[in-house]
Amino acid sequence: MAARLENRNVSFVVKFCIYAVMLAFTALAVYPIFWLIIQSFKTTQEYLTTSKLAFPRNWFTGNYPYSWRMGKFGTLLMNSVFYSVTTVLAVVILSLMAGFAFAKLKFRITPLLHGLFIIGILITLQSIMIPLFLMVNAAKLYNTRLGVLIPYIGLGLPMGVYLCTEFVKSIPNELIESGRLDGAGYMRIFSGIVFPMCAPVAVTLGILTFTGTWNEFILINILTSSDAIKSIPVGVARFSGALASDYGKQFSALVIGLVPILIFYAIFRKQITRGVAAGAVKG
Amino acid sequence: MKQAKKTMIGILMILMLVLGFAACKGKESGKIELTVLNYFDMTVANASDEITVIWDQFEKDNPDIKLVREDLFNEPFHNKTESYAASGQMPDVIYAWPSGRSTTLHSQRLLKDLGPLVQKDNLAPLYTPVALDPSQQASGYMGILPQSMTATNAFFVNLEVLRDCGLEPAKTYTELKAQVPILKAKGYETILMANEDTWVMQSCLFSLVAGRFCGEGWEQKILSGQAKFTDPDFVAALNFIKTLYDDGIINRTTITTGYGDVVGLFATNKGAYYIDGDWRVGAFITDKSTGQALISPDKQKDIRITVFPEIDIPGVKLNRSNSVVLGVGWGMSASIPAGSAKEEAAWKLIKWLVGKDVLAWRVQTGGVPSPSRTDIDMGSLNLEPMQVAIANLGKEYDKATVVIDGAFDGPVYTPLNDGLQAIGMGSQTPQQVAAITQAAFDAWKASQ
Repeated sequence: MAARLENRNVSFVVKFCIYAVMLAFTALAVYPIFWLIIQSFKTTQEYLTTSKLAFPRNWFTGNYPYSWRMGKFGTLLMNSVFYSVTTVLAVVILSLMAGFAFAKLKFRITPLLHGLFIIGILITLQSIMIPLFLMVNAAKLYNTRLGVLIPYIGLGLPMGVYLCTEFVKSIPNELIESGRLDGAGYMRIFSGIVFPMCAPVAVTLGILTFTGTWNEFILINILTSSDAIKSIPVGVARFSGALASDYGKQFSALVIGLVPILIFYAIFRKQITRGVAAGAVKG
Repeated sequence: MKQAKKTMIGILMILMLVLGFAACKGKESGKIELTVLNYFDMTVANASDEITVIWDQFEKDNPDIKLVREDLFNEPFHNKTESYAASGQMPDVIYAWPSGRSTTLHSQRLLKDLGPLVQKDNLAPLYTPVALDPSQQASGYMGILPQSMTATNAFFVNLEVLRDCGLEPAKTYTELKAQVPILKAKGYETILMANEDTWVMQSCLFSLVAGRFCGEGWEQKILSGQAKFTDPDFVAALNFIKTLYDDGIINRTTITTGYGDVVGLFATNKGAYYIDGDWRVGAFITDKSTGQALISPDKQKDIRITVFPEIDIPGVKLNRSNSVVLGVGWGMSASIPAGSAKEEAAWKLIKWLVGKDVLAWRVQTGGVPSPSRTDIDMGSLNLEPMQVAIANLGKEYDKATVVIDGAFDGPVYTPLNDGLQAIGMGSQTPQQVAAITQAAFDAWKASQ
C-alpha cells in the first residue's frame, strides 16, 4: 500500500489522510494487545486501585508462573499443536482429493455430492453441539483425542472442499489427459500432477484450518473432560469471565494463550493475508 | 512424480498412526473411578491450594478411589453441565446450585436424593436445618448437600469515609437520605453498586426490598396464584428502587459500573456504603500468591458489614431481614446404583467436600463466608476482620426472605432484572416493570 502511494502522483494532503487513517486503525488493533500485556504485570490490587491506563508501579511477574502452573498450559500447548497440525494435514489432503474428484471426475451424482459437502458451510457449531456430544458418547469416543479430531476434520472439510474444487477446476484438463495417456491411474494423476500444483490453495487452506482449530473452544470443552487432552482456549477460559476475581492472573493467562498465535501470525503473515483474501473471494 | 506420491503416502501413514494413537484411552484397574465436575475459579485468592488441600488429600486418604476431575469456570461450566444433562451421562459427583443455573439437573432428576444417605449417617445435627431442607431445592428433594448459606445482601459500611464527613452509619432509610448531600459535598458516593450486570440489583438489593415490602412467603403466594407481581406491595417495592435513584442514594452512573470494578472503587474510599453479596468478601482479603489485599487487614477494621438499613416508609411489612438462599454444594449422579461401591465412594467424597475440614479451609480462604456446617469453631480459624464480620452477618437480621432468581425461573426473573435497570435509567415505570414481570410469569406458568 505504502509503495503504491509513493509511486502514484497523489497530493501530500491525501497521503497524510491515508497514513493517518492507517495509523489510527493500526493503533486500534495493536493497543488492546499492548494494554493487555502491560496490565498482566500488575497485581489485581494495583489494577483495581490505580488508573486502568497506567503502567505498573512495580512490575509483578508472579502472575505468569501462577497461570502457567494452574492452567496447565504446558500440556494444553502440546495438545493444541497436536490437534491443529493433525487437523490441517487431514483437512488439506482429504479436501484436495475430494476437490480433484469433484472438479475433474464428472458423474451424474457429482453435483449432488459436492452440494452435500458445501452445505456444511452453512451449519453453525452451536446447532450441532448437543447431537455431536451424543454421537461421540454413543461411539465411545468421549474424552479421547480421536473424538475431538473427527469433528474438527469434518467441520473443516466443507470450506476445504469448496476451495480445493474451485482451485482444481483451474488446472487445465489437458494435463490430466496427458497423464491418462501415459497410463496413469487416478491416484497417480492426483499424487503426481494435481497435488504438487495445488500448493497455493493447500497453504491457504492449511492456515485457515490451523487458526480455526487453534482457537476452537466449544467442541473441546464439550467433548473432553480430562485436562490431559484439552487445548489452550479451555485453559484461558478457566481464568476469564465476568465473575473472575483476579485480573492479573486473568490477563497473564490471556497473554499466554495469545503468544503462540501471534508468533504463528508473524511467521505466516503474508500467507494469512492471501488466505483471508482467497476465503473472502471464494466465500 | 514418484517423490510427490511417496510424500503423500508418508503423510497418510503418519495420519493413520496419529489417529490410532488418538483413540487410545488408558484406564487404571483395581480402583473405583469417580468422575467429578468441579467449579474452579483459578483467579480467586488462595485457589492454588485447593488441589493439594482438598483433592490430593482425599485421594491420599482413600487410595482405593481414583478421581477423574474436570475443572471448569463460569459459562464453560454451565455449558458442560447442560451437555451432560442432555446426554443423560452425568459425572458421578458434580458441583451444583440448589436451583437457578442448575435447575435442569434438579427438574430432570439427574441428581440422586441424598436425603436417605444423610439420614443413614445421622448428619442432621452437623448442618443448619435449612441446609438439609429439601423444599429449598428446585427438585423438592435433596439433590445437593450445600456447603454454605448465602446472604445476597451485604451492606458494607466504610467508617473512615463516614468519619471524614462527621457521620455515623445510617440506621434507617431517612438517615441514609439525609447523608447524601453531606457525602456529595465531600466528593463521595453514598452507595456503590455494580449495576451494569442486571442480576446484581435483583439479587443483592431488590430481593431484600421485595421481602420487606411483601412479607415472608410472598413468592409462594405468587406461585400459587394468590398474589400477583402487579399487586400494590410489589409495585411499592419497585417504587422504592426508583426512589433510591431519585434521591441520589444510588447514583444512576452505577448502571455503567462493572462487577469487577466496584470493589476497587470501594477499596479506594469512593463511597460510604457498598452493596453486594456475602461472597464478595473474598475479593478484599489477602491473596497468598501476591501477599496483597485489596483492603489490608489493618484497614478492614474500618469496614462494618450489616444489612440494608431499616426502611422507615409506609407499606413496609418487616425490617431487619435479609434475602438468603442455599449456597452451592455437591450432588451425585442419579444413575449410580443404590448400595453399590461407587455410591459409597461418591458419598464419601461428598461428605469430605462438605465436611468440617474442607469447609473450615474454605472459610479461611474466603471461598465460603457462611458454612452450612455447625461444628466449625470460627473463633479458632485464622480470619481477617472482614471475614469475621461476614461470618457474623447472620446476627444482623432476624428474618430471611427469598432471593428472586432462586425462587423463580429464568423466563420470569430475566424481564424483572432488565426492568430494574430500566427503572434506574428512567425508561420504564415501576408499574410497567410489574406488568411485564407478571406477563412473563403468566407465560411461564402456561408453559409448565
